[in-house]
Amino acid sequence: MTLPMATSLTAVKKRIALISGFGVWAASAANAQITPAGIGMQPANSALAEEVHIFHNLILMPIITIISAFILGLLIWIVIRYNSKTNPTPSKFSHNTMIEIIWTGVPVLILLVIALPSFDLLYKEDVTPDGQQVVATGDGQTVDFIFANDFPESRMVRRPKHLQVIVDNGSERRVMKNRADYRVDGFGEANLVVSMATPPVAGERVIIRGGRSVDHRGNVTLAPTMTLKVTGYQWGWNYAYPDFGDFEFLSNMLPRDQTTPELYLRAVDNRIVVPVGETVRVTITARDVIHAWALPAFAVKLDAVPGRINETWFNADREGVYYGQCSEICGIKHSFMPIAVEVVSRPAFEAWVDSQRALAGMDPLFDADTVKLAQGDASAHAE
Amino acid sequence: MADAHAAGGHDDHADHTPSFFARWFFSTNHKDIGTLYLIFAIVAGVAGGAMSGLIRMELAEPGVTFLTHFTGGNVEAAYNFYNVLITYHGLMMIFFMVMPALIGGFGNWFVPIMIGAPDMAFPRMNNISFWLYVASGILITASLFAPGYGSQLGFGGGWVLYPPLSSNTGSPGPAMDLLILAIHLAGASSILGAINFITTIFNMRAPGMTLHKMPLFAWSILVTAFLLVLSLPVLAGAITMLLTDRNFGTSFFDAAGGGDPLLFQHLFWFFGHPEVYILILPAFGVISHIVSTFSKKPIFGYLGMAYAMIAIGFVGFIVWAHHMYTVGLSVDMKAYFVAATMVIAVPTGIKIFSWIATMWGGSIEFRTPMIWAMGFIFLFTVGGVTGVVLANAGVDHYMHDTYYVVAHFHYTMSLGAVWGIFAAWYYWFPKMTGKMYREWLGNLHFLLMFIGVNMVFFPQHFLGLQGMPRRYIDYPEAFAYWNKISTIGYEITAVGVLVFAVCMIDAFFVYRKKAPANPWGVGATTLEWTLPSPPPFHQFNELPRFDKPDAKAF
Repeated sequence: MTLPMATSLTAVKKRIALISGFGVWAASAANAQITPAGIGMQPANSALAEEVHIFHNLILMPIITIISAFILGLLIWIVIRYNSKTNPTPSKFSHNTMIEIIWTGVPVLILLVIALPSFDLLYKEDVTPDGQQVVATGDGQTVDFIFANDFPESRMVRRPKHLQVIVDNGSERRVMKNRADYRVDGFGEANLVVSMATPPVAGERVIIRGGRSVDHRGNVTLAPTMTLKVTGYQWGWNYAYPDFGDFEFLSNMLPRDQTTPELYLRAVDNRIVVPVGETVRVTITARDVIHAWALPAFAVKLDAVPGRINETWFNADREGVYYGQCSEICGIKHSFMPIAVEVVSRPAFEAWVDSQRALAGMDPLFDADTVKLAQGDASAHAE
Repeated sequence: MADAHAAGGHDDHADHTPSFFARWFFSTNHKDIGTLYLIFAIVAGVAGGAMSGLIRMELAEPGVTFLTHFTGGNVEAAYNFYNVLITYHGLMMIFFMVMPALIGGFGNWFVPIMIGAPDMAFPRMNNISFWLYVASGILITASLFAPGYGSQLGFGGGWVLYPPLSSNTGSPGPAMDLLILAIHLAGASSILGAINFITTIFNMRAPGMTLHKMPLFAWSILVTAFLLVLSLPVLAGAITMLLTDRNFGTSFFDAAGGGDPLLFQHLFWFFGHPEVYILILPAFGVISHIVSTFSKKPIFGYLGMAYAMIAIGFVGFIVWAHHMYTVGLSVDMKAYFVAATMVIAVPTGIKIFSWIATMWGGSIEFRTPMIWAMGFIFLFTVGGVTGVVLANAGVDHYMHDTYYVVAHFHYTMSLGAVWGIFAAWYYWFPKMTGKMYREWLGNLHFLLMFIGVNMVFFPQHFLGLQGMPRRYIDYPEAFAYWNKISTIGYEITAVGVLVFAVCMIDAFFVYRKKAPANPWGVGATTLEWTLPSPPPFHQFNELPRFDKPDAKAF
């Protein structure tokens, strides 16, 4: 399902701003998130959350508003036209097969219009991205680049839209156009051959991303680069980073006198830190009763259930601090176990990881000179 | 219209009203039991409404500032008290207000009369149904004052009773055990009542009144009764397992012992989703009668209306996990529940459009019940369309457990089912009491409540979209504006309820205008309007007949 507006993000944003009104979309400060007296959703900070906004603001909201207004209009018309003064003699009809077929059939059609993008969105949310990328360096001659299509059968790259070719010359990134800039042989086969129309200049990097996890902007979302382990308890959160030595820490709400009035009930002592533009896998469980880990800016909400590990993911667009609150009643201090995520650049993230490892008595994992993880190329920067 | 009033004088002759104690405590008369249920519902409604008042007062502004007055300044006790309030508000309103009012109250009163029966099929079972409810009410009240978490009183885990918060882990005290027993009794009462209704409707319809001629209110109670019989045993099983988990060392819902907390949620919502249709279907039936009566037109698409209720009841059983989109269901399972849930919009749409078509071309008298009915149609539409939004799991991951959900279910229940109750009350009040009320008071009640509840709940959509989680005693400052508006709306609603009380006191003690047998005119065609107001203690000693070729019940 392709939304007609998926091509141009700015156009979408303008339209959403028009519809939600009150300037709710354009929250100025990145950290504000909740607009006082606001009437719309919290600003999105991922392609996925943005698609949730598009689905809600441009499809669901208009449809339900029109239906409610239509019913209200009919009721008002009935009050004006069919009161006992204007219409002293009631008609006696009680059947009309055609109108009954219409008001059964039209809602079915409307529901279909809703269902198609709805399923698309649901599967995007619930299937953790598995996109892969290869990076090659141009030499001014080579035009053919190989992308190993080694996904499970159901997740293989089969169509042009499952593949994205980006050329990066160090100062500028260009997203190549299929057919015009390159063509692809071998869809659905073990190896895909991407043939560029013109050979990339020596030193230019050719980034080929492939996979079924394509977001609504047309970008292939890459597989997670890290896992965050979340454990809820009465009344706070425990976070662990198993990929970086499994260091862990508790995260508790800051009392009123240690934070600002705006951030009270949302600010915590120890924030989660994640890198921007990378897919973060989140596994969630609980120690005592059920909690729910929620981050509205990423359209993420998943219960923390004792004895069960739930999985979700997010991929942040922008740096900043983003807040959520426990969303399943969990006892007397349910209102007081917020969630705060700090999205930072890859270097800042690595520095933070090493500082946490130092606290846990471990050696640094990242050297200043180490080449960054290949997938550290923030897809968000590609727009 | 059949010659149903033939039995008038005959009835008077048989009117041996028992003494006060025998009449109201050993009652086997469907009308008296209906009255008892209505009184019960009013008491529970006042209690539940007062609880919502305390909730809204606490939420009027950020900070825990109000409930501490009730806990001697102890903040933790205030947190617990808040959770207790939201829990018992929900349980009170669902089990002890809406169900007794619509099913026990109006159902008992009018189903036998509408189908031309002298009484319910099992009058003594009817009696025990009511008194089990009273016992249940006593138990839930006791549970309010029993220790739950630590030394705090009451159970504060939400009306959904999810373990482990409701098991020994989260609520070790006896409050939860008392609550489980209260729900057991309420459930047993409702099952017995439902069996009674099904038997009565299947076996005691007047000669010639086929199911396809039966009034829609009787249809709505019939469908509701089936939902009760099929769903309540599942709840009973779930809370029994919870009870043994708590007291006898079983571990059905304890992961540490091989159980699964989510099993409880599946069982609960297998009951819980039909339950919301149990609450709203009788209101659908009532609205059909009122719309037809005051439009002076037969109901449009009678068969479609009846079968739409059956369809809603059936589909209501296969959508339960849409309450559980965030618990970690597999994606294909969610996709199924999205599709099934959206299907419900179709029969519901048929009902809304058929009510409008019934009014279309009518000669409408805007008497008080009709105004309430039209309010119901609009408010229920608003609640219904937000349900279509929430049906989409992709969006519900954002909305789940926010105020958007609170707004949605209050528009369908508090502004839907309760609107149906008030519409029914104003419609049948003259019949039940033999007295008229001043219509301007009823209309003022409508106006205040309409403005009030919309102010309470419409802004909650905005709060939900902004991400405010439900069941929070305290919230960030940015949510303050709409919460304030919401609390002001509650105050207006409360004034509206006061006007209702004045209207009733006035009708009984000041206005004292006698109601005719049929105060609503030519549009009121069902059997209750052929009897005097109030109806005799025993009606239809000689059964009305519908077996003539031109006879039509509704």
